[in-house]
Amino acid sequence: MSNTKVQLRMPQQDLKCRNGCGFYGYYQFEGLCSKCFRERNEQRKKLDQVRTASPTSSVTGGQRHDGISVSPRHQPKSTSSGHQKKSETPVENISNTMTKKKSLVPSLVKSLTLQPSSQSSKKHSRQQQQRSHHHKDYVPDPTEAQFILKLRQLRIPDDGRAKLKNEIQHLDYEIRSYLQGNNTKNIDELSELVQNAYSKFSDLVHNDESFQIATNEDREMTIDFFEKVVMTRNHKFLFSPYFTSDEENDVKIQKRIRQLSWITAKHLACCIDEVNAESRELVYNAITELVGIDSFYSPQEKLECTVRCCRHIFELLKHSVGGPASADEFLPALIFVVLKANPVRLHSNINFVTRFTNASRLMSGEGGYYFTNLCCAISFIENLTAQSLSMDQEEFDMLMSGSKPYSTPWESALMACESLHLISENMKRMEMLNTRNQNISKGIAQFNEDLKEFQLEITNKVEAVLAKAPLTILDIKTPEFLIPKARAHLERDQEQLQQIARVLGGHYQYNLISAMDNSNKLSTTSTSRDKHLNSKVLPLPLTPQRVETSSSPKKGISTDDSLLQTSTQSHYLSATDNENIAKMPGRLSPLPPTAGANPTNVDLLFASPIFNYTPFDEQHIRMHDETNDSTDDLLLTAEFRGGLTNINYDFDLSDHSNDNSTTEDVKMNLAEFDPLAETTGLTASSFVSDRPTCLASTPRFPVEFPLDGPNDQQQRIKHEISINLADPPSLLDDSPANESRLPSPLKPMVTDYRGFSSFEIPSISCNTGDFSSLNHSVSNTDADSSTSMDNKPK
Amino acid sequence: MTTTNNPPQPTQYNFKVVLLGEGCVGKTSIVLRYVEDKFNPQHISTLQASFLTKKVNLDNGNKVQLNIWDTAGQERFHALGPIYYRGSHGAILVYDITDQDSFQKVKNWVKELKRMLGSEIILTIAGNKIDLEEQRTVQEDDAVAYAESVGAHYFETSAKTNENIDELFMELTRLMVQHAQQNNQKQRASAQQQFGQRRLIVEDSQDGMDDGMSSQVPDGSRSCCG
Repeated sequence: MSNTKVQLRMPQQDLKCRNGCGFYGYYQFEGLCSKCFRERNEQRKKLDQVRTASPTSSVTGGQRHDGISVSPRHQPKSTSSGHQKKSETPVENISNTMTKKKSLVPSLVKSLTLQPSSQSSKKHSRQQQQRSHHHKDYVPDPTEAQFILKLRQLRIPDDGRAKLKNEIQHLDYEIRSYLQGNNTKNIDELSELVQNAYSKFSDLVHNDESFQIATNEDREMTIDFFEKVVMTRNHKFLFSPYFTSDEENDVKIQKRIRQLSWITAKHLACCIDEVNAESRELVYNAITELVGIDSFYSPQEKLECTVRCCRHIFELLKHSVGGPASADEFLPALIFVVLKANPVRLHSNINFVTRFTNASRLMSGEGGYYFTNLCCAISFIENLTAQSLSMDQEEFDMLMSGSKPYSTPWESALMACESLHLISENMKRMEMLNTRNQNISKGIAQFNEDLKEFQLEITNKVEAVLAKAPLTILDIKTPEFLIPKARAHLERDQEQLQQIARVLGGHYQYNLISAMDNSNKLSTTSTSRDKHLNSKVLPLPLTPQRVETSSSPKKGISTDDSLLQTSTQSHYLSATDNENIAKMPGRLSPLPPTAGANPTNVDLLFASPIFNYTPFDEQHIRMHDETNDSTDDLLLTAEFRGGLTNINYDFDLSDHSNDNSTTEDVKMNLAEFDPLAETTGLTASSFVSDRPTCLASTPRFPVEFPLDGPNDQQQRIKHEISINLADPPSLLDDSPANESRLPSPLKPMVTDYRGFSSFEIPSISCNTGDFSSLNHSVSNTDADSSTSMDNKPK
Repeated sequence: MTTTNNPPQPTQYNFKVVLLGEGCVGKTSIVLRYVEDKFNPQHISTLQASFLTKKVNLDNGNKVQLNIWDTAGQERFHALGPIYYRGSHGAILVYDITDQDSFQKVKNWVKELKRMLGSEIILTIAGNKIDLEEQRTVQEDDAVAYAESVGAHYFETSAKTNENIDELFMELTRLMVQHAQQNNQKQRASAQQQFGQRRLIVEDSQDGMDDGMSSQVPDGSRSCCG
C-alpha cells in the first residue's frame, strides 16, 4: 500500500491498472481499474467474514462492523485526518484521503501511512473514537441519549413513536447493508435510497392512522427527527464516502481558496467595508458559522449553520447598503466570506447536505436558499477567472501563482483598524478624563467659594450674635467678710504671700501680677472708694466705680451698668462691653464682668476667649437679672462659674502644650476639684467652712489668706506689689470684694469643667479665624501661666 | 414540494419562483413591492430582500406559498444561474424598458431555461420601470411578440408606482398551480403504470395531487453543485 500510495499521489492519471488488464487504473481504486478493484474487494470481504464471526444480523450492525471490527484502531484516526487538512501539505492530504477510504476497505488496514496523520489532532480523534465506540456497543452515548429524550418529547402517539423507531432502524439497516453490499457503490443510488425513505416516511406520517391525532407541526417535527437521527447515526458512512471524490474535491477547493487569498472585497465588487470594526466583527461571526458547518452531523444542523452565517452577512450588508440587501449584494459578500473562511471539507459538507437532506428542504425555505447561494459561491470560486474578477489575465496568473505578492489590504486594514480603534478608544478615554478633571477643578473652585462664603457667613453670624447677645463683663465679687481678712493677712504676711505666689504660680500668680498693674491705676483714682466699698457688704452697687477705674472704655460700661439696673438698654451696653473686651488680649471669654470685680482682673482670668459664648449669652442675661435681683449667693455662683470655667480651660491648654500630657491627666486634676465645685452654690458662710477642702486642693493659699486687713494697709500693699510682680496684694487692689473671692476661682474651676464637658462647646473656636490673633495671644499668656502652673501643684 | 396534504380538500402548494435578470433592472424592487408593498428600501423592515416568502390564498381555497428567490444579476455570476433555478416552478425574467441590453439578457435567460428545464418551468417576463416611459428603449410590442413566441406571459410593471406587480404574481401563481395539477395527473398515470414500489406515493397523490413535484425535485437537486 505504501508503495502504491507514492504512485497514487502523483497526478498521473495515465497509469494503467496494476493488474495489467489494460484499462486505466484509478488511484481511488489503488491503481486498479474499477473491475479489478471490485473483484479484489469481494475476495477480501469473504476472507474477513470468515475471520470474524460477525453479528451482522443486528440492525445497526451492518457495514459498520466490517469497518470497525477489522480495523478498530484505524477507523477513528483515518476519519480524523479530514479535520486536519488545513495544516497539512497537499501531498499528505491526498494520502489521508486515500487512507481514509482504504480504512473502510478491510484488508488495507496495516498501512504505515496512517501513522503520521493519526498523531495529529487528538481531540478530533477522541471524538471520533467516541462515535465509533457508540456504534460498536449499544450503550447509548450522549447523542443517542439525546435522541431518546427528543423522541420522548415528540408529541406523537406511542404507536407512532414505535413506527418512527422502526423506520429509523429500517433506514439504518438499509444504508448499512447497501454500503456493505458487494455491488458497485454509487452515491447517487444511496442518495435516492435515502430520499425515497424520506418521502416514504413523510407519507407514513401524513397518512398513517397512528399519527392522525398529531398536528401538522408535530408531523413535520417527526419527519425532521427521523432525518436527523438517521443522518447523525450514519454520518460516518455517508459523509464523503470512499467511493466518491469528495475528499479530493475538498482538497482542491481548499488549495484553490488558498491561492485566492489575495482577493479582496473590491475585486468582488462587494460592498463589505473592510475597515469598519463593526463589519469586521460581523465578518468574523459569519466566518465562524461557516467553519462551524463541519462540526455538525445532521444536514439540518449544517443548514442552520449556513443560515446563521448568511444572516450575519445580511446584517453586515445592511450597514453598508442602508437597506435590505438583495442577491446582487449578497452573493459577492458570501463569496468573500467563503474565501476568507476557507472552511474544511467544504465539498464533502455540501455534498452530504445535497444528497442526504430532505430534498424539499433545499427547494424551499430560507435554509435552502442560503445553501443554494453557498453552492453558487463555491461554484464561482472554482470557476473563477480573471474575467470574472474583471482584471488582467496576466496579473491574475501572477497573483495565482504567487509570483506577485499582493499586499493584502484586508490584513493591513484590519491592523490599521485595530490601532485606529485603539487610538479612538484612548481619545475617548482622555476626553472623559479631561471632562472629569474639569469637573473636579470646577468643584474645587466652587468649594473654595463656598468656604469663603461660609466663613463670611459664620463671621457675620457670629458678629450678629455677638451684637445681639453682648458680653457684659461684671466684676468678680468677693465676699465682704473675706476682704478685711485678706487685707489683714496681706499686711501681716507679705512675705508669705510672695512665697505663695511663687509656689502656686500659674493663674493665680498671673492674676496677682495683673491685679497689681490695675491696682496702680486704682490707687490713683479710687482708693477712697475702695475703702468705701470694703465697708459695704455687697459689692454690686459699686461696680460702676470699679469699671471706671479699670480703663477709659470701661467707663462706658460703668455707666451702662448703672443703666442696667434700670434694665433698659442692656443690649447696647453689652455691645460696648464686647468692643472693650475685644481690645484686650485674652478677654473674649464670655463671662460677664460681675459687679464689684475689677474687669481687668477678670479678663486675665479668662484666658481662653472663644468658648461658651452662646451658653454664656443665656448666662449673661440671667446674670443681669440676677444682678438686678442683687442676691449675693446667686451672683457668686454665676460669676464664679463663668470665671472659673475659663480658668480651668486655660489650665488645660497649658498642660497640653507643655507636658504633652493626656487629657485624662487633666481630667484627673480637675476631678480633684470636684468637691469644691459643688461648694460654689453655697453661701458665704458655707464658703468659709469649705476652705479646708480648698486647701487640700490648692495648697495653702486660702489658709494663709488674712481674714482682716485695713484699707490703708491694702493700699500700701498694692504699692509694694507693684514693685514685686508676683504678689497677692493685687487681689486686694482689684477690689476689696475681689479679695474675698480669691479662693473661689479654684472652686468654680471644677464646676466649670464639668459643665464644659457636658456642653461640648469648644470645638468651634479656632476656625472662625476672627479670634485667631486673640487666641494666639491667649495661648502665649497661657504658656506663661502654665509654666507657673507646673510649679504650683507640687 | 413539502405539500402537506391535509385530509380537507384545499391543497397547500409550495412554489419556488426565481427572479432572473440583469443587475439594476429592479428585481429586488419588484419582489419587495409585492411582498412588503414598499418601494423605498429605507422603509423596509426585513433584513434581506433576496429570499422572501408570500402566502397566497387562491379563490378555490387552495393555499400557495411562494418562495421567491432573488438572484445575483451581475454578468460574472451568470454561470451560476442553473444552481439557482433548478427545481423552480416559475421564473420571472425582469428587464428594464429603458435598457435594451437587459432585454437581450432576458432572451438569453429564456433560451437557457428552455434548454435546461424545458416546459417544467412557467416563464413570465416583466418589463420594469414603466414609470420611466419617456426613456423607453424597448417597445412594448416587441416584448409582447417575443413573449408570445416563447410561450411566456408578459407584464409591464413598475415597482415604484406599484403597477401590474400583483397581477404579475397572481398570473404566475395561477399558471403554476395549473401546471402542478397537470403534472400531478401525468405523474400519477405514469406512476401507476411503472412502479409498484411507488404505490404509497400514488395513494398519497390521490388526495394531494402534487406528489409529482416531490418526485421531480430530488432529481433536480441532485444534479449539480457537486
